[in-house]
Amino acid sequence: MEKKKIDEDDSGPSSPKLVDRFGFIKPESSSSPDQLKRSKSTSGSEREERRVRKWRKMIGVGGSDWKHYVKRKPLVVKRRIRKGIPDCLRGLVWQLISGSRDLLLMNPGVYEQLVIYETSASELDIIRDISRTFPSHVFFQQRHGPGQRSLYNVLKAYSVYDRDVGYVQGMGFIAGLLLLYMSEEDAFWLLVALLKGAVHAPMEGLYLSGLPLVQQYLFQFDLLVKEYLPKLGDHFSQELINPSMYASQWFITVFSYSFPFHLALRIWDVFLYEGVKVVFRVGLALLKSCQDDLTKLPFESLIHALKNFPEEVMDPDTLLPLAYSIKISKRLEELKLEYEKVHGKEGQSIITRGKQKQLLERNGSSRHSKRFEKQKGESIQSPEFVKKIQSPEAVLLQKLSLRRHFSHRKAEYDKLDGSVTQSGQELQRRDSQLMSRHATS
Amino acid sequence: MAAYRAEDDYDYLFKVVLIGDSGVGKSNLLSRFTRNEFNLESKSTIGVEFATRSIHVDDKIVKAQIWDTAGQERYRAITSAYYRGAVGALLVYDVTRHVTFENIERWLKELRDHTDSSIVIMLVANKADLRHLRAVSTEDAKAFAERENLFFMETSALESLNVENAFSEVLTQVYHVVCRKALDVGGDPTALPKGQTIDIGKDDVSEVKKVGCCSA
Repeated sequence: MEKKKIDEDDSGPSSPKLVDRFGFIKPESSSSPDQLKRSKSTSGSEREERRVRKWRKMIGVGGSDWKHYVKRKPLVVKRRIRKGIPDCLRGLVWQLISGSRDLLLMNPGVYEQLVIYETSASELDIIRDISRTFPSHVFFQQRHGPGQRSLYNVLKAYSVYDRDVGYVQGMGFIAGLLLLYMSEEDAFWLLVALLKGAVHAPMEGLYLSGLPLVQQYLFQFDLLVKEYLPKLGDHFSQELINPSMYASQWFITVFSYSFPFHLALRIWDVFLYEGVKVVFRVGLALLKSCQDDLTKLPFESLIHALKNFPEEVMDPDTLLPLAYSIKISKRLEELKLEYEKVHGKEGQSIITRGKQKQLLERNGSSRHSKRFEKQKGESIQSPEFVKKIQSPEAVLLQKLSLRRHFSHRKAEYDKLDGSVTQSGQELQRRDSQLMSRHATS
Repeated sequence: MAAYRAEDDYDYLFKVVLIGDSGVGKSNLLSRFTRNEFNLESKSTIGVEFATRSIHVDDKIVKAQIWDTAGQERYRAITSAYYRGAVGALLVYDVTRHVTFENIERWLKELRDHTDSSIVIMLVANKADLRHLRAVSTEDAKAFAERENLFFMETSALESLNVENAFSEVLTQVYHVVCRKALDVGGDPTALPKGQTIDIGKDDVSEVKKVGCCSA
């Protein structure tokens, strides 16, 4: 979708690149109308304003009323979220839904500590992927620019914070998506909330060794397709198509890897509140919308089609209602048990949420703490624990040394980056071209 | 050579996998070979990607069905399922990063654990255009390839150097293996019924569509 072929790219500095309202550079030959602009009629924008006012009232100043409101009217919240969180409030609301705000407030200074003082075994892996994450977005495109730097910091901090998981390819797209709506530190704590839990932990266990949860999701999805779309399911079986060929990205990045951004955002709104179920539902809705075409295609065209859904199918206002109409909760749970019955004997790969939590708490504080015990005499792992390590003096001291370390780390980053960059000069040349184009556009 | 043909117009269909550490250039090797494109702004591969291309070998059309896999260790649980039934493999490292060459041994073991012993493996030294950054010598790689009985080629997906050759060589060699096997099995390869799957690794994808003379 966002590919640019340098072989055929004119690379002419004269034509300024256009970006969409989310900051993604539009493909040059984009003839498709901007979905969002189209829906923005005058009455549409009035409706939008009313919506924002409702939301503001619901969350209160700085989110102060949120918890109360959710407790009192969970269904109203759910309904409003499904209609889409207003873009201007999205960053804040995501933090409220996930509970990451609380993590942040409980742990002042911890993020900086992780970024500055700790080293991660994944640093090189992260750096290698930085320029390969949302490469067509203006914020992340500039080499060593604020976008790439924040992305690196968040991913590195997380890889230190959760050494069992470390860094896994795919996380970058999630962190990247978050960074377009909030600060580095906020994005970090939201990542923690997703993977380790605050209110709930919709991605817990997803990136563990062996990707056990991804495997379980693919198993569940495979059977759901067969049950809900039997004709298509039969066709898939005949053509030897299985979900790992097309859907692993859906689960690993929650549609942020290659789907239209406005759709990804709407899915994320719901994902944060309702959890992974929405990924299954949207997946099934996509297949259902294209069922008639898909059943006609042979293997190769089928794989292609499953990675390139037509634009009209990906309109959130038609796709999402279809997704919500697909009821799968009960079946999803049953299929999970079925999967565990078959694969459970492999042991650790299947970790139920409850067990996992215990595991994290136990392991976490032993494994991690060793590093910290040496330095600080205290360990850092679970949010509860993390919050203890900072006294106001410590925070102040850290802040004082922040600048020094940042410049040191920057040099280190540049060195590492240089060693893994291919054709760095070419990239820089293109960056500066693009930057100047944005400046003029 | 290697004209692009209609999708279903082939004599043989071979499954090939692209494996190696993250960031060595697997996806760009694939896009260079199948679409003659190189993308400086490519995203890291999550899970698996897939592309095909047909080439001529002798007077036959051989179609390659190529699976490009995520390189990160964590993904092997998903990607290793794709080794099954592969008759060819490109085992890729980055000449500017020695560690990617060191890891070849592990990739090789992984590959051999999951595939038939007759699989054709090409060791691919990619990013050969970055001469000033080279960290792995041609001699070391050649010696390793000889020791392990692998084909070897230095490529640059960026400069389109040897990419065509690397894939073609793998496909040609697989073709010869298949022909030899057909001869071993039936004596006369033309005797195999049309559409029968050639048993090279208990494959569910690679197949021979139309068996003709194989006098290589």
